[in-house]
Amino acid sequence: MIAAFLDSWALFHDAYLAGWLIGVLLSLVGVFVVARDQIFIGAAVSQASLFGIAVGIWSGSMLGAGGWWDSELFHAVMGGLCAVLAAFVTARAAHRGGRETPEAVTGWVFLVSTSGSILLMSHNRLGMEEINRLLSSTIIGAHRQDVWMFLVLTALTVLLLSFKYRSVVLIALEPDMARVAGLRVGLWNGLLSAWLGIVIGFAIHVSGVVYAFASLVLPALIAKNLGRTARSLFFLAPCISLATGVVAFILANRYDFPPGQTAAACLCGLLVCAWLLLAVRPR
Amino acid sequence: MDDVIYRASDVALGYGSHAILRGVSLEIRSGQFWSFLGPNGSGKTTLLRGFLGELKARAGTLEAPPPIDGVAPVGFVPQRCEINPTLPITLDEFVGLGLVGTRLNKAARRERLAWVLETLWLPALARQSYWTLSGGQRQRALIARALVRRPRVLVMDEPTNNLDLVAESVVLKALTDFLIQHQAACLFVTHDLALAERYATHVGLVAEGGVMAGARADVLTRANLEPLYGRALRVPTDAAPDEPSLPPDAGEGA
Repeated sequence: MIAAFLDSWALFHDAYLAGWLIGVLLSLVGVFVVARDQIFIGAAVSQASLFGIAVGIWSGSMLGAGGWWDSELFHAVMGGLCAVLAAFVTARAAHRGGRETPEAVTGWVFLVSTSGSILLMSHNRLGMEEINRLLSSTIIGAHRQDVWMFLVLTALTVLLLSFKYRSVVLIALEPDMARVAGLRVGLWNGLLSAWLGIVIGFAIHVSGVVYAFASLVLPALIAKNLGRTARSLFFLAPCISLATGVVAFILANRYDFPPGQTAAACLCGLLVCAWLLLAVRPR
Repeated sequence: MDDVIYRASDVALGYGSHAILRGVSLEIRSGQFWSFLGPNGSGKTTLLRGFLGELKARAGTLEAPPPIDGVAPVGFVPQRCEINPTLPITLDEFVGLGLVGTRLNKAARRERLAWVLETLWLPALARQSYWTLSGGQRQRALIARALVRRPRVLVMDEPTNNLDLVAESVVLKALTDFLIQHQAACLFVTHDLALAERYATHVGLVAEGGVMAGARADVLTRANLEPLYGRALRVPTDAAPDEPSLPPDAGEGA
């Protein structure tokens, strides 16, 4: 099994590396999402990114082929922009309160993104194929530049956490306390929402919705059940994501499964194991 | 007037278009222990949010203490902890969050943490999950998180809720010691008249959209309290003028 995986390395190493880096990066960001108990925001931001990609494809088809708007980079940037916008809207709803609950706003973002992306592509066969490809998640098409991009994004995330770990944790856990401690909570929330949107937006363009959303929330949820300290989550979640990614890609290669779904299924199974472990282990 | 920490002049506070408090004027100085009393919904928490800078004054001016070397000089104890209860966090991690924004090195952080845990009788629980602690232990952890900053002013919203008599005594001893040693001020919302009578140097009665504020002996009287709560009250015995309001040995041996 491992030999067959190693044989496939020459052909798919960019896809594997990009997939693992996406897993590590999203699992780190996911600790923040899970700590705030905003898992559904992750789903809404993922769908909003898909909507952005659909808008990019639709714009390209309206403006005609051959221009800069008819490129994968433009689609990825549009996906990122919509994801950032969705992250802002949902985060603002979560912290400001208002007439609607945060869940209602998040649900609205999720549904408008899902239905909007399908409606925009309903008369565009190639566009619909791309949306379906992203919905079903495949990392096989990842390029060398994707590997470098996610390496840089991961390094920046690790750097931020290394220097501002306590601030990030306090803002994630108790924004009111963070404000009293002198942190500029509005600015921090804005930056963290933007980061969430950028990371998810680009990840979805490369790996699709299922793998990106699974990598965002499942490793952090597993780590939350296994870890005893908040600090340990930032170590456990990426380790779980990476280890599961390696095993899942080997299995996917052996049994000819789509790697994104295989990784998501493995993470779901691990989460059940973590729940069972927690049920028998005193906290 | 360097020892003035907060100065409110004819301040109005509220939410949206609705003013909760109007005409609030008071000065809070170093070393003072302020108790804010009043019925539920009278605006005590709104007043604290004003002091914390979460609410802007809609009228008047509210001068707050400036940062000291870039560090916010306020410690805050909320009514309850808003942390996601499914998140693993140990007591020492939780208390250590109080040091966010301070510029201490690792050794100084450890020293601060050890001091505050010792002060609030928590060192044996340091590595325990915050969520396995009792209500009273969690409340002490909240107070420890505020105190670990060694702030110039402590803002506390019903901090002795959930505490038994011994724990309350330990907490108030720690607080009063801290105020004396560091010439800090304390803003303490409570429903406990006896506690205010025993520890406060100053009292603010919050009711009917305003705050009656002043020295404890002048404000904490039956004539002021009975209209506030709308019923006859047994007001704690007035302290003698020369009686110290900060007990030197509260909680000793507890």
